[in-house]
Amino acid sequence: MSVAINIENVIKRFGKDTIIDGLSLNIKEGEFFTLLGPSGCGKTTLLRMIIGFNSIEGGEIKLDEKLINHIPTNKRNMGMVFQNYAIFPHMSVKDNVAFGLKRKKMSKQEIDEKVDEILKIVKIDHLRDRMPAKLSGGQQQRVALARAIVIHPEVLLMDEPLSNLDAKLRVEMRNAIKRIQQQIGITTVYVTHDQEEALAVSDRIAVMNGGVIQQIDTPKRIYQRPANTFVATFIGQSNILDGSIVKTQAGSGIKIFDAFFAMENLSENCAYMQKVSVSIRPEEFILSRDNKEGIKGIIKSSVFLGINTNYFIELENGKEVEVIQASDSLEAIPDGSTVYLNLQTDKINVFTDDGTKNLIRWV
Amino acid sequence: MNGTNEKKLNIWNISTFVILAFAVLFIIYPMVLILYKSVISGSGQLSFDYFSKFFQKKYYWSTLINSFKVTIVATAISTILGLIMAYLLRSIVIKGNKYLNIMIVMSYLSPPFIGAYAWIQLLGRNGFITRLLNNILPVKFAGIYGFAGIVLVFSLQSFPLVYMYTSGALKSLDNSLVEAAESLGCNLLDRVRLIIVPLVTPTLLASSLLVFMRVFSDFGTPMLIGEGYKTFPVMIYGQFMGEVNTDDHFAAALCVIIIGITLLLFFLQRFLSAKFTYAMTALKPMEAVKISGFKNVLVHLLVYGIVFVAILPQLTVITTSFLKTGSGGLYTGGFTLENYYNTLLSKNNNSAILNTYLFGFAAIVIVVVLGIIISYLSARKRSFFTSTLDTLTMLPYIIPGSVLGIAFLYGFNSRPLLLSGTATLMIISLSVRRMPYTIRSSTAIIGQISPSVEEAAVSLGCNELQSFLKITVPMMLTGVLSGAIMSWVTLISELSSSIILYTSKTQTLTVAIYAEVIRSSFGNAAAYSTILTVTSILSLLVFFKISGKNDISI
Repeated sequence: MSVAINIENVIKRFGKDTIIDGLSLNIKEGEFFTLLGPSGCGKTTLLRMIIGFNSIEGGEIKLDEKLINHIPTNKRNMGMVFQNYAIFPHMSVKDNVAFGLKRKKMSKQEIDEKVDEILKIVKIDHLRDRMPAKLSGGQQQRVALARAIVIHPEVLLMDEPLSNLDAKLRVEMRNAIKRIQQQIGITTVYVTHDQEEALAVSDRIAVMNGGVIQQIDTPKRIYQRPANTFVATFIGQSNILDGSIVKTQAGSGIKIFDAFFAMENLSENCAYMQKVSVSIRPEEFILSRDNKEGIKGIIKSSVFLGINTNYFIELENGKEVEVIQASDSLEAIPDGSTVYLNLQTDKINVFTDDGTKNLIRWV
Repeated sequence: MNGTNEKKLNIWNISTFVILAFAVLFIIYPMVLILYKSVISGSGQLSFDYFSKFFQKKYYWSTLINSFKVTIVATAISTILGLIMAYLLRSIVIKGNKYLNIMIVMSYLSPPFIGAYAWIQLLGRNGFITRLLNNILPVKFAGIYGFAGIVLVFSLQSFPLVYMYTSGALKSLDNSLVEAAESLGCNLLDRVRLIIVPLVTPTLLASSLLVFMRVFSDFGTPMLIGEGYKTFPVMIYGQFMGEVNTDDHFAAALCVIIIGITLLLFFLQRFLSAKFTYAMTALKPMEAVKISGFKNVLVHLLVYGIVFVAILPQLTVITTSFLKTGSGGLYTGGFTLENYYNTLLSKNNNSAILNTYLFGFAAIVIVVVLGIIISYLSARKRSFFTSTLDTLTMLPYIIPGSVLGIAFLYGFNSRPLLLSGTATLMIISLSVRRMPYTIRSSTAIIGQISPSVEEAAVSLGCNELQSFLKITVPMMLTGVLSGAIMSWVTLISELSSSIILYTSKTQTLTVAIYAEVIRSSFGNAAAYSTILTVTSILSLLVFFKISGKNDISI
């Protein structure tokens, strides 16, 4: 039942504006694939091209080997969950879910069976005869999901389905969505701007910016080995510092201000004295007061967050970095103290000066 | 309201009671009087003879049947036309749709009887098109009168109302619902049938009820184009104003019957709309798409054709206002400004124009001021009295204009309440007729202003009156002003109560047009109508400027 989606060199124009210019992407069968990016990056546009609400100005979209460019939406057999759920307000829960089945001219008995089955899967079988106005946001979400998957679509598409829910419900629903998706094993394309949500549900993520895919990878790799500084700063937090490559007989490494850090995983094609952007996540710093080696800085302020404490530290050139340290490891360091920062060199990322390429070897 | 406030005579309590007193005097009292007259015989005894007289004689009750027939058919046609036009203009890119929109609104804003008289000029016995047809075709076409004529005029005149409401509803319809249906396998026809139509049904019901009430209680149109086909309002007018056999008590009974019917309809609509109301948040409103080829041509032809037919009466009137007329209202050919000379500059005639502007303006001021206060009271100072006031002022919504006019004449014909024949009574009747619409729109506007804005003003040292005048009123003003312009346009085209209340000194434009048409003085009628139309167009342009939008709700 599951299909792969092959997107080759697609182009989308609105009037004279080209939103997407030659984008290619392969989504594997049964995969939970997420399009992640800031608003306006073209992720929803791409999703609407897959389902057919947006025309395709160039390139091809195929389900397995079947070209779907010119198949009208109502013949594509794709389920979609909308940002505002788009529950038909004049129909009961049952009628909403049965809507797509009725289009397929199934017998009444068959429809009833399928509706009941899917309502059990999304756990709202007790709400069968309710009208949408009497449903909570989370319940409406489940109706929308049930309605989309009950027609056994070849592909399930979700457009920011959780953005209208409160934080607690959002976590609950994303677990439910993940569970249901695994249960029925359907190829799913999920659009969100929420990176935590993307990391939590996806098999693979495509990070998009300005209509261009920045990186496609598993959540873990996207977080640990971002392809460029955009991904590094968009996914989680990263401090970007200027540095340069140093090569000695003992090995190579990077230099930030006057501090040298030996690196074992730098790519072969780093040139000596090449300027680089070093991306360090707040938890990848090692902070010390006594050891006078490392990058020198002064603590400007700190925030105690229970397990961790966040320090805002001003470096010699005036740049401020954020550092996270476990709270129990140190007495709180008073503001104004001079500290030295060392790095977990196996975890940090080194990019070319313009931030477009990761210089770590196994990326 | 809490206990301490209730005892204090603050500004809100005082205004509530003052307005309440006026409402009782000008709404309740005339209505009670009508009811009283209908069940008390000339000799002062309780009697239902007037009602049984009506239901016993076919001559009388057949007018009610006639009214229902034309109203139902005209309402059905205008609902279908309005829905089709609204859907086409919202979903398909149509060239010049802004202007089409204005023309549709324009065709609605002129009084229906002008449409009737214009259509007589075109399709009547001696009409322009009739003569053309009879010259070409072998069959003899006798002109469009009676049932067909009334239905034609009302359908074309009323579909714009359905159009405006439905267009607004389509705009707030969330397009993702339509897309969801599409993704679930619906083709275009199914999407319209299963999603769009059910969702705009509440609006269709509400607007078709408005059309129904308007058509049902209009008397100018059937009077002019109905000929032998007599409707209920025509009979009421005849019973009250006729030269022979007028019977006040019988006329009162007729008024009670028609109010009973409109009241019933009102509750029916309330019941239905409460049952079918859906809250929708339009994240993505419907977008008009470009289509091409044969379909595109067809849609353009259809839309332009309907709009053209709808504004044809206006075009006819404007054209004929520049034509020379001989005796008996026949056009002698050639262009002239004579009609304008006769209407604008002759001393006997131009008072109608001044009166219209004066009465309309005075009524607007009253309606806007009271409208703001009443809607504020009922929205923010809920109490038994303010809700009573709210309900009372909604009452004129279901009272046909001619009934209100008759009731006013009964009620204010003798001392100490001698007001009949005065401009004051004309202005009051206009205000009362328009009040429900203004209050409803003002209440909607207040509903969008958060009470905390006023609370903020109070916390910064304003008293309640100051916060009302300095914060709430200015925030409401744009909305209220654009509403006021629409009220103005409706008021200057009002006929059914003015025709009963006017005297030679308080004649208005519509009354003058009507009188000139009856007198077959079509040149003057056309000139007056053109002045009215131009006023409406200018007002409409001001409305668009102030409200900054292209949608209109009446």
